[in-house]
Amino acid sequence: MAAMLVATTMAACGQDDGATSAPKAPATIPELTKDPLTLSFIWFDWPPAHALEAFANAEYTKVRSNVTIKVNTVPNANWHDAMFTQFAAHKTDFDIPILDSQHIGEAVTNGNILDITDFVKKNIDVKAYNPYLLAAYGQYPQAETGKRDENASLYGLPLLGDTWTMIYRKDLIGDKPPQTWDEMISVAQKCQADNPGVSGLAFHQANGSDAAAVTYNTVNAVYGGNLWDSKTRKIDGVINDAAGQEAMDVLVNKMKPLTAAGSGNWFIDEVNAAVAQGKACIAFNWIAASGGLLDPKQSTLGTTREEILDKLGFATLPSQKTNLVPLGGMGMHVSAYSPAANQAEALNFMKWFEQADIQKKWAAAGGVPSRTDALESPEFLNAGPFNQVYADSVSRMRDMWNVPEYARLVDIENTNVNAALNGAKTPKDALNDIAKEQQGVLDSGSRKGGGGL
Amino acid sequence: MSNPVPLTTDHPGQVASATPPAPGRSRRLSDRGLAVAFISPALLLLLAMSVFPLLWALYLSFTDYSATRGGPAHFVWFENYTAILTSAQVHLRALTTLIYVVGAVALQTVLGFAIAYLISRRTHGRGLLTTLFLVPMMLSQVVVGLFWKFMLDAQFGVINSMLGSLGLGQVEWLTRQRTALISLIVVDTWQWTPFIMLIALAGLTAVPKYLYEAASIDRASEWFRFRTITLPLVWPLLLIAVLFRAIEAFRLFDLVYILTSGGPGVSTETLSFHVYKVAFLGFNTGTASAYGILMVLVVIVLTQLYLRYLNKLKED
Repeated sequence: MAAMLVATTMAACGQDDGATSAPKAPATIPELTKDPLTLSFIWFDWPPAHALEAFANAEYTKVRSNVTIKVNTVPNANWHDAMFTQFAAHKTDFDIPILDSQHIGEAVTNGNILDITDFVKKNIDVKAYNPYLLAAYGQYPQAETGKRDENASLYGLPLLGDTWTMIYRKDLIGDKPPQTWDEMISVAQKCQADNPGVSGLAFHQANGSDAAAVTYNTVNAVYGGNLWDSKTRKIDGVINDAAGQEAMDVLVNKMKPLTAAGSGNWFIDEVNAAVAQGKACIAFNWIAASGGLLDPKQSTLGTTREEILDKLGFATLPSQKTNLVPLGGMGMHVSAYSPAANQAEALNFMKWFEQADIQKKWAAAGGVPSRTDALESPEFLNAGPFNQVYADSVSRMRDMWNVPEYARLVDIENTNVNAALNGAKTPKDALNDIAKEQQGVLDSGSRKGGGGL
Repeated sequence: MSNPVPLTTDHPGQVASATPPAPGRSRRLSDRGLAVAFISPALLLLLAMSVFPLLWALYLSFTDYSATRGGPAHFVWFENYTAILTSAQVHLRALTTLIYVVGAVALQTVLGFAIAYLISRRTHGRGLLTTLFLVPMMLSQVVVGLFWKFMLDAQFGVINSMLGSLGLGQVEWLTRQRTALISLIVVDTWQWTPFIMLIALAGLTAVPKYLYEAASIDRASEWFRFRTITLPLVWPLLLIAVLFRAIEAFRLFDLVYILTSGGPGVSTETLSFHVYKVAFLGFNTGTASAYGILMVLVVIVLTQLYLRYLNKLKED
């Protein structure tokens, strides 16, 4: 209640302006200040956030010695709230919000971030990127999967690419990873039966953030389903079609029984912990969060990185009816409410960050770049055993819905998939409820009262 | 120099002080002015931080306003209220909240009173025991939630480890529909039973000893003394403690957020947690304001009914 009152007070302060579209950033970077300046980011608390702060303070200060980089972090579950409550107040304590690709629609529609189309045209070599990666982290309206609309506006640039990797125990299932989803399930089944105390699978199931939703979306994609028809904005009848039902059945009735008891609230850290403690034969996790698995201090699989790598393998996701994989990662954007000097510095940082040599250094520092030349560079491919997985997955990525209603859509999917995974709903009911409730959200534009229920 | 102002006193026989006003005091500032000067900072803070947002929330509750979408707020009058009161989603959360409040407060009352009764019968170490029992109440709810989350973890938690050593199977405390709500009740009970205990202990120590002595002379049994002396005298105080706890439990948010995130599915989503989602996931500020106002109204109405019952109890 107190939080709501604070929000309503903020709403009171920010009500007058009525902005509904993103303001434009200048094509040319304005003159930069020579005074000391702190350029603030906001992200959620995970290793890449700390890597970015260390990297930027070490490298960017070589060209801008008066600038300090501060990456403010919040728990993953608060990430959206932390950014958008400040946007609601029309005052932010960050200059560069790192948005999930699906947040772009909400931020653009509300006028919270700058339109950087002209800036990109003049300062960024767009041909250096896979077009879909550039579109996924910056374009709005959302790009069609695998493509970029060159006439669409851009509101961000890639900061960190990411997708899921399959992590498998080479010592338990062999060096060759399963190639199809069905094969993966049967291998996990056998591994679980042969190794008491080790569960066949570990994956995200929690109902916070986008955990369970990404898991279902991944299986849905692999089994040939679709989340929606973006042109007609139709969800009911699309996500719960035969392919969608099959995907939910596979997830709940074939995959879930192979997970550890009580894993129904697992997300990134819990899956990593299960792998590091040797409790899972096959696991799925975001590549950018997998670095810790190779740290002997955090693992029971070996006393050195090499020993761990003798037991752990990283592979692209198995395919089935399609070979799609989830698009993860985030882009950099410029807060519309930052002071002019900070906005200019933010644009300068983005231009600097997207240079070929800096992208390679970022890759060497643990980041996942988006420029094709950096992705193909030895700096990136040799930095981690999972980086090749990312490079091989780029052409296979699919994103969720990038619309202003994203936060509610993902919550509906999370809670229902989590309910199905934990026995609170049948798979069929859960999927039909997702379809009905999400369609209700998309169709509620003309509704006057009771929005959000 | 003005004449010293005689100070009033509530106690007859006490001589009023003839101390002159402090040397720095302005002649133009009357007693009333001084009082206003002293209370105005607190009053302004209260107006700015509580009253204004509350009135603003009341205004927004009749509109379709969204804090992030901006633009003018359009009046929808009672449509938000109608939508909330007729929503099956809200009814489900209300039922969850009701089960939680009744379960948690009942358990805390029984345990809190029992512990207070046992402590009150001790003559030695009462203070130390009371202090130790109060420790959970002094902890932050987030901290309590986090360490209980570890303790209740199905794989690595100490609770399942203990059950395992007793030969019992693993329980999925936080990820099954039935056990998740029970876990929330247990954790809340662990933290807040001391509050009921403290109030009950105050009531128990205030029971006049001569009543027990008279009962002993009449050779009344222990149960008879408890039923006819202890319970009736402590009951009104205990009910006030129950009222405070019920209001707190009705607003439950922190433990749900940390322990279950409302899951599995939405089976442990309380009303407060649902308001949070309406307010911050979709930024439907108008609906969320109406939701919050309705929750305040429910608490006010129930509290009034409860207080009337308490007054009636006192009169009887």
